[in-house]
Amino acid sequence: MGQQITFALRQSVHRVLVLLVNFLPGLVALLLAVIVLAAIGALLAMVVRKVLTAMRFDERIATRQTPGALTNVSEWSPANSPTLLLARVTLWICVLSGLALGISAFNASFSDTGTLSLVFLPYLTHIVGAVLLLIGGTLLARFLARSVLIGAVNAQLQYARFLSLGVKWLVLVLTGAMALDHLQIGGSIVELAFGILFGGIVLTLALAIGLGSRDLVTRSIEKTIDKPSSPLGPDLTPPLRSEPPQPTLRHF
Amino acid sequence: MSTVPAPALSASTHAAPDQAATLICLPTLTGEAFDATLDHLRRAFPLQPIIVATPDPVPTRSSSDESQIRILNYTSSSSPHGAWVPTAADYLNAWTLAREHHPQAVLLLGAEAASVSPDTLRRLVSGVFDQQDLVLPRYPVGPRDALVNSAILYPLTRALFSQHVRFPLPIDAALSPRMAERLATTAQRLTSTNQADAFVWPVAEAAVAGFSVRDVAGDQRTLPLPGAIDLNSLLSNVAGSLFADIEARASFWQRARLATTAPRVPTYATRSTAADANPLDLAPMIDSFRNAYTNLRELWSLVLPPNSLLNLKKLSLTPPETFRMPDALWARTVYDFVLAYRLRTINRTHLLGAMTPLYLAWVASHLRMVDGDATLAEQHIEAVATAFESDKPYLVARWRWPDRFNP
Repeated sequence: MGQQITFALRQSVHRVLVLLVNFLPGLVALLLAVIVLAAIGALLAMVVRKVLTAMRFDERIATRQTPGALTNVSEWSPANSPTLLLARVTLWICVLSGLALGISAFNASFSDTGTLSLVFLPYLTHIVGAVLLLIGGTLLARFLARSVLIGAVNAQLQYARFLSLGVKWLVLVLTGAMALDHLQIGGSIVELAFGILFGGIVLTLALAIGLGSRDLVTRSIEKTIDKPSSPLGPDLTPPLRSEPPQPTLRHF
Repeated sequence: MSTVPAPALSASTHAAPDQAATLICLPTLTGEAFDATLDHLRRAFPLQPIIVATPDPVPTRSSSDESQIRILNYTSSSSPHGAWVPTAADYLNAWTLAREHHPQAVLLLGAEAASVSPDTLRRLVSGVFDQQDLVLPRYPVGPRDALVNSAILYPLTRALFSQHVRFPLPIDAALSPRMAERLATTAQRLTSTNQADAFVWPVAEAAVAGFSVRDVAGDQRTLPLPGAIDLNSLLSNVAGSLFADIEARASFWQRARLATTAPRVPTYATRSTAADANPLDLAPMIDSFRNAYTNLRELWSLVLPPNSLLNLKKLSLTPPETFRMPDALWARTVYDFVLAYRLRTINRTHLLGAMTPLYLAWVASHLRMVDGDATLAEQHIEAVATAFESDKPYLVARWRWPDRFNP
């Protein structure tokens, strides 16, 4: 009995060691590929930066571009420098090439071991996809939250912050659900939880806005009946000729 | 665009038979408005041959009846959506016509051109014949008119480009040929990137080129209304365009000593109407600012230094009867928004949107202070412009060293 247990344990340790021996070279190859290509990328980026700086690339681009235009490369370049943009693009192309090369080497070293490679590699790409989803979702949530906040404040809504927060969490919950779905974690539980949360937030917002806007709507209707022109808004209609003359504002 | 040598300017108002002294570019006008404009032009330039360019079909009787007026039809590349000031496409059209006809002066008239008096037309063109490159009208406005110009456009242009021109985004403008060419070069860049209706800032352009600028008093004119109704989008468009222009010309205005034009003695081209005497309810604007302070404080803290935020907090707690935004605070706030626009501290659309409540606070403060008095309003606007000039070193310092600590 004891011998059988010892044998089973030895077999198990042996299998794990074999697996590690197969796994480690692939991992080292991946790391090596990334490090070497990143170093090459940094070198190339430095060369690109020096060459373009010597050519006065930024100045040449600036003379051909329109300030403020969406097509202006300088507008969305880091530190408004197309040279820096090209240098960074070069570096990241090399780093990504190294990653692709490393994963390929990792895959090759596992080709004979079968199951782990089949499960692990697709899952790695899923993790990358989920991380990208989370980053994109967070950025979008922040952008939309600010847009709603500013728009609501300029529309003189008292609950602007609440509205902005609601939009932010709607997008974040949606992003979280998408990331989990992408990772195939949770299955139907995630879908169900997402539906409940999303619906809950929407209902809360609708109730809050509906109840909170009663006064606003009343004031708005009263204003429309009593005063045709609001002094706050850009009164862009010609002044009325009726007596007495209404005080008007012209912002432009 | 090919460079055409600018014809020499002459004080003479007579030109060769085939060469008119003045080219007048009109916007789209109705038949009656066109006739009224022609009548004004005839009275303004009785002996001078002029060319009138219109995008509308030319009435046949007009071309045969006038001896000194030649009427041309041109194809306007701008969409007739009713921009209230000339846009890039208009400046480009003006230069295209000037290149063909070699006038000594180009007069670009904006919407509602029929309401420009003959005297104003004459003064504008005479300015160009007096060796000025850019002559802009200073139309009388009421204490509650042209508030964006008074709060942002005029003070910024005066402080940064040292040009005492009251309306830097003009409705009408008289240009020398070389000024028209210079503006067309800028307009060409805009139209080639599909921004034909973008604003052009002729005062800044003239200042950078070292051209002479003058503003002349104009008679009462119907001021055209912007096509868009929404204040937020209008303010974003205009302020964004000016901030982008300031960013593009940073190397010019950062110079310590500019060749400044002599500050003009303020002449109050103002008008007061019966409506101006009526009190205006400022409470909605003050409430809007208070609401914004509660909700946008975090966003403003990314743009404004702590000292400005503290002053805004005090302002938000001030009762409406004593609501007064200090000129220095407003100047510093606008400069900080210009800096944030340049540094992209936050998304530019958000930045300009977050500026609207602050502008409304300035408007409320200004209107409460001037109390419907046009002369007081002009005095305050001059004081605001002086505050911008005094605070210019702050902008220059932070433009050069953005990360420096600012209390």
